[in-house]
Amino acid sequence: MEREQIDKLLGKYWNCETSLEEEQLLQQFFSENVVPDNYKNVAPLFLYTHNEQKEKLSDSFDEKLNQKIEERQKKYITIKLFAPALKIAAMVAFILALSFSGLFWINSTKKQHFAETYNDPLAAYKEATLALDKLSLALQKSEKASLETLVQLNELNVDWDFIDSLNMEIYKNEEEIELKEEQNLKL
Amino acid sequence: MSTERFHEIVLPLKDKLYRHALSIIRDRSEAEDIIQDVLLKLWDKKKELSQIENLEAYCYRATRNLTLDRLSMKSFRKTETLDMKSFELTETTTPQTLFENKETASIIEQCIDELSETQKSVFQLREMEGMSYKEIAETLDLSQDIVKVSLFRARNNIKSALLKKDSFIKENKYGKRTNR
Repeated sequence: MEREQIDKLLGKYWNCETSLEEEQLLQQFFSENVVPDNYKNVAPLFLYTHNEQKEKLSDSFDEKLNQKIEERQKKYITIKLFAPALKIAAMVAFILALSFSGLFWINSTKKQHFAETYNDPLAAYKEATLALDKLSLALQKSEKASLETLVQLNELNVDWDFIDSLNMEIYKNEEEIELKEEQNLKL
Repeated sequence: MSTERFHEIVLPLKDKLYRHALSIIRDRSEAEDIIQDVLLKLWDKKKELSQIENLEAYCYRATRNLTLDRLSMKSFRKTETLDMKSFELTETTTPQTLFENKETASIIEQCIDELSETQKSVFQLREMEGMSYKEIAETLDLSQDIVKVSLFRARNNIKSALLKKDSFIKENKYGKRTNR
């Protein structure tokens, strides 16, 4: 490249007016040629950027990355493989839970209120007759007692007509008092 | 996105993404670690990737975000100057010029480090990756004007630093001669 051309390109470069191709030309010039003394001050910049372009990841990077990706893929595959199995297991567990709770519910509704406590029917019969005998005895006793009270009342010879007349008198007296009060109010 | 498509489209971006991370964090093993994390994250959601319009810009943004996160998390000290192996390869270098180049490279790196994160990323994408202004704007989610202004400032900061260094060397040489 001519010196004039370089000067022109450099001027454009500092003003950000160069195209990408022109910038590439500058980089090539400063990195491939013996740099004239008057450009030695700016040449390192182009050399620096040119060399930075060569920076690359280390050779072992791909191997490490692929290893990590494979690990992730394995995990993903295991989850993917076991997903339907897990779904089935969840369904089975749900159905089992549902059926067990149903069974318990049915059993609880079938439960007898009077449980069988006697194994021998004869003994049960005996006990039952004994209980009923006791009950009838108690009833008989209470009947006898009430009859006795009635007899005693009759034996008292109470004059019921006299008691009734007393009642009537009280009733009449009350009516009279009420009439008097009404009259007083009217006056 | 299928596994094959992932290998075809995303994985070839790995070196570009690595350089971008490296330009921010300036630590090779850390940058490599970041790229591995970015690629694994992208792998995990590869099904969603097919819906993304500009996948390359998306990958760059993912890398940039993770690198900046890592940088702030570890309060990473950017002390490591990337080794100058490339400077050593030029045919015309002598031990003296190598020494000068190393010094110059560290000046360039110091200048880059002093730029804002946006300027730094714009500079890296233009100079190292050769992206157009439009592509840089899309990648960094900025307007093309901001991209141009950032690049202008970045280039001129480096230029003035280099010129300052050059005049400093000349003054020193001239000073030595007069002392004699």
